[in-house]
Amino acid sequence: MSTAITDLSKVRNIGISAHIDSGKTTLTERILYYTQRIHAIHEVRGKDGVGATMDSMELERERGITIASAATYCSWRDHHINIIDTPGHVDFTIEVERALRVLDGAVLVLCSVAGVQSQSITVDRQMRRYGVPRLAFINKCDRSGANPMRVTQQLRDKLKHNAVMMQIPIGLEAEHQGVVDLVTMKAVYFDGENGEIIREEEIPGELVHEAEARREQMLDAVSMYSDELTEAMLEDAVTEDLIHRAVRKATIAREITPVFMGSAYKNRGVQLLLDAITRYLPDPTEVHNEAIRLENGEEITFPVKVDPDEPFLSLAFKLEVSPYGQLTYLRIYQGLIHKGDTIVNMRSGNKVKVGRLVRMHADQMEDIESAAAGDIVALFGVDCASGDTFTDGRLKASMSSMHVPEPVIKLAIRPKDNKAQQNLAKALARFTKEDPTFRAGTDEETGDSIIAGMGELHLDVYVERMKREFNAEVETGAPQVAYRETITRKVEFDYTHKKQTGGSGQYGRVVGTIGPRQDGEDFLFENHVVGGRIPSEYISAVEKGFRSSLERGEYIGYPVVGIHVDLIDGAFHAVDSSDTAFQAAARGAFRESYLKGKPIALEPIMLVSVEGPSEYQGEILATLMQRRGMIVGTTEDEGFVRIDAEVPLSEMFGYATVLRSATQGKAEFTMEFKRYGKAPLEVAEELRAKWLEKRSAGNA
Amino acid sequence: MIYRKDVNERSPLRVFERSIHGGLGRGNIGLVMSRAGVGKTAFLVDVALDDCMRGRKVLHVDTEHTAERVRQYYEEVFRSLAENMDREEREAIHVEIERNRMIHSFVGGSFHLDRLRQAMQYMKDHIDFVPGLIILDGYPQWEEFNADQLHESLDGIKQMARDTDTEVWLSAQGHREDERDELGVPLRLQPYLEYLSVVVRLVPESNQVRLQLIKDHDNPDLANLHIELDPKTLLLKWQ
Repeated sequence: MSTAITDLSKVRNIGISAHIDSGKTTLTERILYYTQRIHAIHEVRGKDGVGATMDSMELERERGITIASAATYCSWRDHHINIIDTPGHVDFTIEVERALRVLDGAVLVLCSVAGVQSQSITVDRQMRRYGVPRLAFINKCDRSGANPMRVTQQLRDKLKHNAVMMQIPIGLEAEHQGVVDLVTMKAVYFDGENGEIIREEEIPGELVHEAEARREQMLDAVSMYSDELTEAMLEDAVTEDLIHRAVRKATIAREITPVFMGSAYKNRGVQLLLDAITRYLPDPTEVHNEAIRLENGEEITFPVKVDPDEPFLSLAFKLEVSPYGQLTYLRIYQGLIHKGDTIVNMRSGNKVKVGRLVRMHADQMEDIESAAAGDIVALFGVDCASGDTFTDGRLKASMSSMHVPEPVIKLAIRPKDNKAQQNLAKALARFTKEDPTFRAGTDEETGDSIIAGMGELHLDVYVERMKREFNAEVETGAPQVAYRETITRKVEFDYTHKKQTGGSGQYGRVVGTIGPRQDGEDFLFENHVVGGRIPSEYISAVEKGFRSSLERGEYIGYPVVGIHVDLIDGAFHAVDSSDTAFQAAARGAFRESYLKGKPIALEPIMLVSVEGPSEYQGEILATLMQRRGMIVGTTEDEGFVRIDAEVPLSEMFGYATVLRSATQGKAEFTMEFKRYGKAPLEVAEELRAKWLEKRSAGNA
Repeated sequence: MIYRKDVNERSPLRVFERSIHGGLGRGNIGLVMSRAGVGKTAFLVDVALDDCMRGRKVLHVDTEHTAERVRQYYEEVFRSLAENMDREEREAIHVEIERNRMIHSFVGGSFHLDRLRQAMQYMKDHIDFVPGLIILDGYPQWEEFNADQLHESLDGIKQMARDTDTEVWLSAQGHREDERDELGVPLRLQPYLEYLSVVVRLVPESNQVRLQLIKDHDNPDLANLHIELDPKTLLLKWQ
């Protein structure tokens, strides 16, 4: 069994990020092959039916895309590389962002034919947001139409990267044979059945001139960030080591993006990319991370010290189901973890014993004794949620928790049969742990299971996974918006609840006013009754009665918010009054007066942020305005535009599709709940008609 | 028009408008200048809010801050304006303001007049938003641009104001060490007064900030404005 890696300069935590069809999975597969993690090569959607190792979910296999991230490790020239597989699909950005949080550097894979596509743009912008240094790998140089020069230019134009070619191709399309390394000035070929034998030769005569020119450009670009290199250039004393150091420095500072190329499928260029990963991407100590500790109720951020001797601090960034149980992926930021240690979940306070510590390689695993700061490992059978922080218990700190948005869409689901019913519970328990933006519950009226999430597509994927992974086929209802209702006028009530049915009767009278609250809070009850006209022991029953009336309003049948009740007077009966009687009186008073208070329907208003290329701002504005949107503002930056708007949630169904077609898929949007706002009268009337119909049908 | 008539008439901006003979006027450029932190942006937001509340469309352009930040500024100014309104009125006016105002910011040095004109075209074509007033905060860069660039950008702004039939308000920052003429105009800004129809200066005094009129179209007699800004809120004081 291996132990902790403590020479952090040899650790790399990287992501491989790309557009769906740029060959990321194939590239990852080759990396694992060359680093001897796997011993045979399978193709994505391969004929042998095995499929590439990284795509562990059946759904992904079928669609040929990667949805969830998995972490795997490999070693290359005594470096330890953890690869966090990041999805390239816009609709699963929570996955991408979670992965970006824990990685220190990334490889941006681009297709040499298709170039920089909209999703590369999206993913790249997320990386920029998290300050992740990047290398670019231009893949598929063997394909017809391959043009890595054009793609490099797109990196500069579209992504505003200071892209620096570190190689040039030897032949393209069917003629693609290898690359010229502009640092060593050698031609590199990849021989053997799987390209495992690297052969260095002199640069072919017809490429010498171009190689020299490109090297000159590369040195000019890189020397901007290294005085050492600049001096060496003047003295004509440039060494490979000087270039490596300068490229590394500029890459980590995110001043340049070194560009590599090849064809993963044809086994060309992958080993040189691995060299570049170890040479140019940062080790964990070179990346700034912050944690939060609570002091006197205040959150104080402090920088993490990536050091095995510091107290243990780690982040559970990913939960996954494996055939052996629940796996929790942990990024260790400080200290050491050993098998048998007890660690503490900072959110729940639960103590957890580390029974088994493993390194994951997609579907296979390796047991380890210990692991240290900077590393990524997996634990077995640990009960926690994604995003939880674990420490040794002495350190009371949390990794600055990632922003988790509230779910905005609800969907009723009904299992198709008994078997599905049983499996559904398992599926829901699993998904809610894996994904903090996915919630599950029960509709009190219908008894249906309700799932809630970030959008229609988000929920669709889970419905699909229920069927495939848990054999739980469900029928779904229409997506629902959570409306509310309130009143706008203050009205008086005077209600007597009286019942005489032999034996002891019921009596209670309440007098007062009910009106809107000005401060946006849900409910306020004030008692002004004097002289014991209602004995104090019944006051709380009155409040309870009003409170229970708020569960469902008489106007549109949704929860009532923003109500202020003043209880002024009342009456009681020495024998017949009781808690029950006063609760009933309050409910009666509410029922009687509520509709006189000019009720209105409230709808959730979302803050919607749309980002896309500037030239689409008109189209984006139009899609928002058509949805009763109120434009909050537009911010342009380097060819991109972000438009913020407040839009009613009910208008946002199907927006992803509309936005995609309006912008050719080049814009993405996020939304979060902002506030409740008055729904237009026509919406309110429709809701009211539905409610009255439902009520008269006896369903409520 | 939702703005209450009495409120409207008491507004210091009505006084200001009368003083400059009916306002800035479409196709013209106005400039507010002051030292840093005296209230240029507050003045511009005041002018913009006044228009919004009278049902006119305003485009607020900022070349430095994000749209969010600019909106917060409006919210702050509006909050103090709306202090004495009841909830319903406040909400109705707020909605009116948001409908009439568009904030467009260009961050990361991405501003260019052509881009602004393009953005205005998009707004016109796609959502039928045609402003009558443009607030252009942070452009031109008086200190970084050379004379040619300043002439060119002011010429461009003038052209834009004419083509789009809008009033445009700009801002400029003065410095303690600026050499000034008898009206207090920094000498370095003088060559550009020809592009501007109205120029005001915010003059900090012991317990208030005074609005001083420096140019009023082609009128030789400059009115003595009796308009002040509250030094705490930097908002125009109501009479």
